[in-house]
Amino acid sequence: MKSSFLLILFVLPTLLLFIDSGNKIYARAEDEIDEDLVDVENEGDNEENAMTGDDVEPDEASTTSPDADTQLLFVRPLYNAGTQLELPGGVPVEFLIGFKNKGLNDFIIESVEASFRYPMDFNYYIQNFSAIAYNREVKQESEATVSYSFMPSESFAGRPFGLNIAINYRDSNGVPFVEAVFNETVLITELDEGLDGETFFLYVFFAAIIVLLLVVGQQFLGTIGKKKRSQTIRKQVETGTSNSTDIDYDWLPAQTLRNLQSSPNGKGKLSPKQSPRQRSKRAAKEE
Amino acid sequence: MNKMIKSFALLLIVSMALATTTDSGEETRAKLLVSKQILNKYLVEQRDILVKYTLYNVGTGPATHVSLEDQGFPSEAFDLVSGKLEVQIDRIASGTNITHVVIVRPRAHGYFNFTAAEISYRPVESSPNLQYAISSEPGEGGIVNLAQFNKQFSSHFLDWIAFVIMCLPTVVIPYSLFLKSKTKYELLAQKKKSN
Repeated sequence: MKSSFLLILFVLPTLLLFIDSGNKIYARAEDEIDEDLVDVENEGDNEENAMTGDDVEPDEASTTSPDADTQLLFVRPLYNAGTQLELPGGVPVEFLIGFKNKGLNDFIIESVEASFRYPMDFNYYIQNFSAIAYNREVKQESEATVSYSFMPSESFAGRPFGLNIAINYRDSNGVPFVEAVFNETVLITELDEGLDGETFFLYVFFAAIIVLLLVVGQQFLGTIGKKKRSQTIRKQVETGTSNSTDIDYDWLPAQTLRNLQSSPNGKGKLSPKQSPRQRSKRAAKEE
Repeated sequence: MNKMIKSFALLLIVSMALATTTDSGEETRAKLLVSKQILNKYLVEQRDILVKYTLYNVGTGPATHVSLEDQGFPSEAFDLVSGKLEVQIDRIASGTNITHVVIVRPRAHGYFNFTAAEISYRPVESSPNLQYAISSEPGEGGIVNLAQFNKQFSSHFLDWIAFVIMCLPTVVIPYSLFLKSKTKYELLAQKKKSN
């Protein structure tokens, strides 16, 4: 009994190994996504889909050619398969699609289009990126690479989106094919830079306000001090220049002082009391 | 019981052997994705254009005998400044990439269609079968006239000198007038002193 149990323990893993069920489960899951996509292409009433939507039949076999082999590679940002792709908002995203023609017919890569969809329902479009027409001919047993780049909006930051990248191609007989090379939910992240221009100028603005406040405060304090002083001065009686002892003549040029002292009207007095008439007379004499 | 264990061991060995054969059945194969990019923002005649080729090996094995050839820059339209338009790369390991840069200088202005480069490599190291591939296409780009470009982006050194010369009269004439009157009155003041 025990040995038969052991036998089962050995046989079961080997059986699993033979069947190789793990990979097949994954493959089926992908096929199902493709099926969804086909429905999307048919149901979507978007103008960009019109070119493919009209031709594509709901039959799954007709959407991808067995002779074509596509490979997606995110160049920017880098992406490891199996993890959720995070795209920084406001920064261009670049990817390459490798296309290999394994069959005997030539293929023509017509266009690649990317679109953001509602992650709960991939039939619902949020943003369509422009479909870039390549029209590249891929001969038999040959490969081609096409590059595509788009920029998720910064305002989408922090939200998940269903990113769908579809490549449209047809063979030499004119049969169109569509393949979704990427159909997953991606997260748009916010790129936090250390110091961007906006915050930098915000701080500059704050500094300016502080300096302004300091200047205003100093002015205010100065006026208060002046008021006090002026009140004390006001009590003095204005005597004019009659009291000649406390007049400061230092500011006058020496020439003027000499003129004043030598003038006959002044009689040695320093105050320049002179009638305008006399002044004009003297000026006339000089000239 | 002993026999039983032996049979288990046999089963184990057989299953292991089968597992390894299924593994080796997936032959390692290189697959190259090649991007060709023009790094310039403005394409100007007689000025350098930077072209970058990046070869990504996304396959499971190394790509050997890789040769990249770009016939998209004919010598009658472009001068090769630096780099080579035909490159041989011995080996690109899987999961790695290689960058190749070429600097060319367009001879004339106008629209030019930048086409794809051609690549050939051995996807399986042991077999001499070559895989042919083409890179991504930068597409059509307008090459700007040099004079037109200078009009917008040069430092305009001579223009500024001309501007300064043109500005001189309006500055120098009032200044000379001021200087004249100043010296005149200074002389008068000196005379007064002497008097």
